[in-house]
Amino acid sequence: MLILKTLARGAEMHGFQIAESIQAISEEVLQVEEGSLYPALQRMLVKGWITGEWGKTDENRRARYYRLTKDGRKHLEQELERYSRVAKAIARILQPA
Amino acid sequence: MTLREMWRRVQYLRHRDEYADELREEMQLHVELRARKMRGQAVAGAEFAARRQFGNPTLLAEASAGAWGWGAWERLAQDLRHCFRALRKTPAFTIVAVVTLALGLGINSAVFSVVNAVMLRGLPYPDPARLVQFWGLFLNPPPGFVSPEARFGGPARTNNLSAPAFVEFQRGASNFLDLAAFTRSPHNLTGIGKPAQVWGESVTTGFFSLLGANAAQGRVFLSEDERAGAGPVAILSYAFWQRRLGGDAAVLERSIVLDGQPYRVIGVLPPDFQSPGQIAEADSSEYFLARPYQDSDLKNYGSRFLIVLGRLKPGVSLLRAQAEIDAIGARLEGYSGSKRGFRTMVAPLQDDLVRHVGRSLFALLGASALIVLITCGNVANLLLVRAIARHHETSVRFALGASRFRVVRQFLMESLVVAFTGSVVGLSLGDVLLRLLIAIAPAEIPRIHSVSMDWRVFVVSAALATLTGILFGLAPAWRASRTRPAASLRSTKQPGGDPNQARWRSGLTIAEVALSMMLLVGAGLLIKSFVRLAGVDLGFQPGHVLAMSVNLPDASYRTPEKRLQFFQELEQRTRNLPGVQSVAFANRMPLRGGWSTGVTLVRPADEIYVGTDGQAVSPGYFATVGIVLLRGRLITEADGIEQERVAVVNQEFARKYLKDIDPIGREVYWNKQTPLKIVGVVNDIRRAGKDAPIRTELYVSAAQADLYPVRLGDFAIRTTGDPRLLKSAIQAQVWAIDPDQPVTSVKTFDQIIDDDLSGRWFDTLLLVIFAGVAVGIAVIGVFGVLQYSVSQRTPEFGIRIALGAQRSGIHALVFRQAGRLILAGVAIGLAGAFVMTRFLESMLFEVPRHDLWTYIAAAALLAAVSATAAAVPARRGASVDPIVALRYE
Repeated sequence: MLILKTLARGAEMHGFQIAESIQAISEEVLQVEEGSLYPALQRMLVKGWITGEWGKTDENRRARYYRLTKDGRKHLEQELERYSRVAKAIARILQPA
Repeated sequence: MTLREMWRRVQYLRHRDEYADELREEMQLHVELRARKMRGQAVAGAEFAARRQFGNPTLLAEASAGAWGWGAWERLAQDLRHCFRALRKTPAFTIVAVVTLALGLGINSAVFSVVNAVMLRGLPYPDPARLVQFWGLFLNPPPGFVSPEARFGGPARTNNLSAPAFVEFQRGASNFLDLAAFTRSPHNLTGIGKPAQVWGESVTTGFFSLLGANAAQGRVFLSEDERAGAGPVAILSYAFWQRRLGGDAAVLERSIVLDGQPYRVIGVLPPDFQSPGQIAEADSSEYFLARPYQDSDLKNYGSRFLIVLGRLKPGVSLLRAQAEIDAIGARLEGYSGSKRGFRTMVAPLQDDLVRHVGRSLFALLGASALIVLITCGNVANLLLVRAIARHHETSVRFALGASRFRVVRQFLMESLVVAFTGSVVGLSLGDVLLRLLIAIAPAEIPRIHSVSMDWRVFVVSAALATLTGILFGLAPAWRASRTRPAASLRSTKQPGGDPNQARWRSGLTIAEVALSMMLLVGAGLLIKSFVRLAGVDLGFQPGHVLAMSVNLPDASYRTPEKRLQFFQELEQRTRNLPGVQSVAFANRMPLRGGWSTGVTLVRPADEIYVGTDGQAVSPGYFATVGIVLLRGRLITEADGIEQERVAVVNQEFARKYLKDIDPIGREVYWNKQTPLKIVGVVNDIRRAGKDAPIRTELYVSAAQADLYPVRLGDFAIRTTGDPRLLKSAIQAQVWAIDPDQPVTSVKTFDQIIDDDLSGRWFDTLLLVIFAGVAVGIAVIGVFGVLQYSVSQRTPEFGIRIALGAQRSGIHALVFRQAGRLILAGVAIGLAGAFVMTRFLESMLFEVPRHDLWTYIAAAALLAAVSATAAAVPARRGASVDPIVALRYE
């Protein structure tokens, strides 16, 4: 979801940029092995939520740029909705009566 | 999973390597960018830190690949590759296992296909289980009775019933849907090509509906066809229509001429129709006529010439049908006024058709089943040894984190690959063997030419072998999967396998030896029988004699005198052909059937009724066949119709019926009016062939044609050179007398003898091949076990030698082990053979099934061969270099 959200915000990003972006947004709270990003990306490729296109970085190096597809956007919306429902429920439980 | 997702997965599969490269490049970039950034932040050891933060790239790559959902398949393919590599690395094991399997499966499926087609597969009629044949059983057979089926002696039974009996049964039997009767005989076909003798059947009108057959063109018989006024009609076989009439479209407007009588064609049968009468015969029935008997036959209870079939009503048991037949039969007995009891029996039609070959085919089937057992034993043994030898490898794989499932699957896959390859090779081998089998099979096996490879058979035996492979391949793997790898890894020693497994291996080897011992004894007995048989003296001189049948049709040769005249003229015409030594005619020549009869013999003190072979022969018969006069005189030209009736008997006749009485001058008679005087005694012959007993013979003069009821039909010449060269010259002489008269069954005596032996030769050859294969597999088994055991005991041998043991002692040590296996196997095998040869007994000729020398020879042969197989491992054991051996530890 995090990756989808990141991609939904920007246009196209390659793996490192996605990782950086997630780190920046989450303010380094989420610390995982950065590499685990890639199996996740592959899984989303399979599902068809994102597509990857090879392009050049600013320094003229080959990199794969990922972009959200229509399916991916839909999936993200569903996930966000579900998440907010759960979050609200949790919030209600935690609110002092 | 959507279709598009599926498509992406398939795309991935096609460009797997590209995807992997791309992923690697991506991750590489990531790590580099991270490292650069860290350097910018002055992190110490930036590259290492970047890599650590990234994680294990190999695992990540695997996880990424796993995302595409092909992981399980890839691991399977990996296992398969590994498996092929492992099999390639041990070619000896692979080849032996595959070849063993292929031989076992190939042989078994070929033989079983034959047995199945001949015996197990139903008759080619709908609902064949309800078809029965009628049998006549003589309860008090006359002395010397010979039934037409069992050629010699045998049970006193006949498959022929009299016409009135048939009619009574048909009228009275309520447990049958219908009964049908037929006769099968050859007729002379003229008007289509050269005159030819063609076999056909005369059937009752219900015959075809009883068998569930219908005509492909035209119609089958209706009851009108049987009525007295109806014109003669015929139904043709498909083969007749195609071959003799060239598939003429207007066949239903044609007629065929048989024995001078035209028959209107009313139908053609479908190509696959086979009448029961022709199934076990070489000549197929090519036409079918109505009316197998005449009205005049209906009064004669003693004249049995109809073969009767019946179809039971659904749900009627054979016993109930028999009870009904017995009741009707008891009534019939009264009409016929016969003094000898005669009981009519019903038996499944299938039983009758396979009775000639059933015994030998079952024996072969048993033998091939033994081969499959040996095969399974050997494969099991090989896999067992292999699994134990790879104990170390298994431990290493476990230590490296292989799951139990993967290891077991690895073994499973190897077993399956071996089984599969063996099956495929076995299938093609079986196909070749089957064709070979059909090619060399004697023609008397019914339906042999319609035999095709039976898939079910092959699948069953292949499954059996595979299952064995899996069982014996997996058991050790499973056990290994429970051992702690650490223990095994700590020692570099070859693991010995536990004593339990050693027992299994020995047991399997002993079983293999025992089974092949049984086959070897069987083969030995058959070989001995064959040699005995081939060496039998017929009592006459079969060389340089050509015999043929000239069956004169009733239409133009109504009386015995006319037939005699024809043969006398033929004799005159051929006697002086160049190369001809002598000519003869008779009702039948030796080896070609004959006449069994009974006569009353007048002895000084009494008269007795005796059974004997009776032959009507021309004066030249004895010289042509090669029978020698011992006392008195032979039949001569002078013994004509006007002279005193004479007979010549053989030694056996004199010995059996005229003990201590001079046979010359004795009289025999069929009826009081024409007594025959015995004028000479000739030597004994085995009329019916080498495996036939010597029987009593009574020869009468063919010229005294009023004496005998049989028809003259056979003609023979003895020549100086190859008699076959005169075949067309004689044919020409026959046609000079009667241009419509065919000559058939032209064969030299030697040919007939060879054909006779071919059936035994077939059985013997097959069993010898089986035994050879079995011994081969067993020897491989012995060799394998010893070789393995020697390699296991190499360190032990090293120590022994280092401590001063003689090399010959080591040699003896290995041989003792081999000896134990072989002796146990041979002993068990001999005991088995002692019991199992019971099934071979009917195939033996003058060799008792417990023939001591055969058993000894077979045991010695097997022991010698297996001992030779043991020599290689023994030498290897004895030549162990103690230094090398001890370094193992």
